[in-house]
Amino acid sequence: MDPEIGNFETEMNRGFLQILVLALLEKDMYGYAMVRTIRDLGYEVEENTLYPLLRRLEKNGWVKSKWDVSEDRPRKFYGITDEGRSLRAELLGIWRKQDQILSQLTEEKNHV
Amino acid sequence: MFEKLEAYLEEISHFLSGRQEREEILSEIRSHILEKAEQEYGQATEASLGEVIAAYGPARRVAEKYLDGRPIIAPAYHRYLFRYTALFFAFHFVLTVVAVVFKKSFLMFPFLYVPQMGPFESLFYLPTAFVFDLGAVTLILYFITQSKKDVKLPWPKFSLDIDEAKPSGRIIGRIIGFIAMAALTTVALLFYIRYGTLFFAHFNMAQRRPIFTPEAGQWFSLILIGLWGISAISLAIKLTVSPPWVDAVGKALSLVLLGLAFRQPFDTALVQPSPETLNRVFTLSLTITLLIICILVAIDFIKALIRIGRKKLAR
Repeated sequence: MDPEIGNFETEMNRGFLQILVLALLEKDMYGYAMVRTIRDLGYEVEENTLYPLLRRLEKNGWVKSKWDVSEDRPRKFYGITDEGRSLRAELLGIWRKQDQILSQLTEEKNHV
Repeated sequence: MFEKLEAYLEEISHFLSGRQEREEILSEIRSHILEKAEQEYGQATEASLGEVIAAYGPARRVAEKYLDGRPIIAPAYHRYLFRYTALFFAFHFVLTVVAVVFKKSFLMFPFLYVPQMGPFESLFYLPTAFVFDLGAVTLILYFITQSKKDVKLPWPKFSLDIDEAKPSGRIIGRIIGFIAMAALTTVALLFYIRYGTLFFAHFNMAQRRPIFTPEAGQWFSLILIGLWGISAISLAIKLTVSPPWVDAVGKALSLVLLGLAFRQPFDTALVQPSPETLNRVFTLSLTITLLIICILVAIDFIKALIRIGRKKLAR
């Protein structure tokens, strides 16, 4: 891939990953399970990017976390909060609007 | 306990040091790496953990993603760093010259102390002063950045534009300049080898009478030849490439040579004993002349440093 495209993709992914995580956490999940689920959906997320993102979302109150020590290996489960749901709704609204604008523009171009 | 994993976490911990949540961050990474090794490689072994750790990324990169990445100095204040440092240093430089000429020390509340010193000592004091000024400006800009307030700092303009390096002239001008300086240096060197000094009271060499004592004459002559030589070499380098450090190094060496000139006592430099008043006038005139040359060279030196700094920042 062209390195320039790679940079653009990284920038675009930053916002997308936040919406993706907020959408995914409707059901409580731990980090590795999230990585697997996202991969199964056909998208790759860097593990070392996911955890800092979760931490920032938690700091702002959009997700909450809890360590589960009932099994051999302790796992940290994350889940969305009510504030996180409101944020997700707003972000999805923005994303849909952006998508609509881009679709409109590309359709107009195709007609020309 | 897996050695590779613990060593990796220890390395991440090193870059995270000071953060309260460090232990929790490390526990989470440990849990993830062990789980991935088991799920994707069958079991957690040193070999499988090595693979998983390699995929997770270098420790410093991992740690940096947890840091908020706020710069020490906000980008909007970068341009102030060298301009304010230049201003502070100019002020510091003037005070140093005053301290040298009037043989006084200065204490300017709250933190500026300029000790009494000789011209030669001032050459060692000034680089320290520059570093101090750079540090002080950095500290101020750091506090402004950390305050997160939109502080609008004044932007002083210099009479000479030092933002951009001006083209040093056309290639023909440079060639002429180099030839002239190289010829001057060579002639001076030959003259010095033959007569032991460059300073005579008469242009008629048949009646030549040196101005300075042999020791002082040699000293000042060698310094002058050195200064011309440095100019010639700088111009020669600029003929082919023009790296930004040429001016800075050239001016720094010139300042050192000018400082060495002060090591020769001026009051005993004249070859013929002269009246006390005349001797004092000569000493004062020579001191002031050399100091003015020092100031001009120092200004060029600071400008060269600023250009280097700005180019590095621009990158």
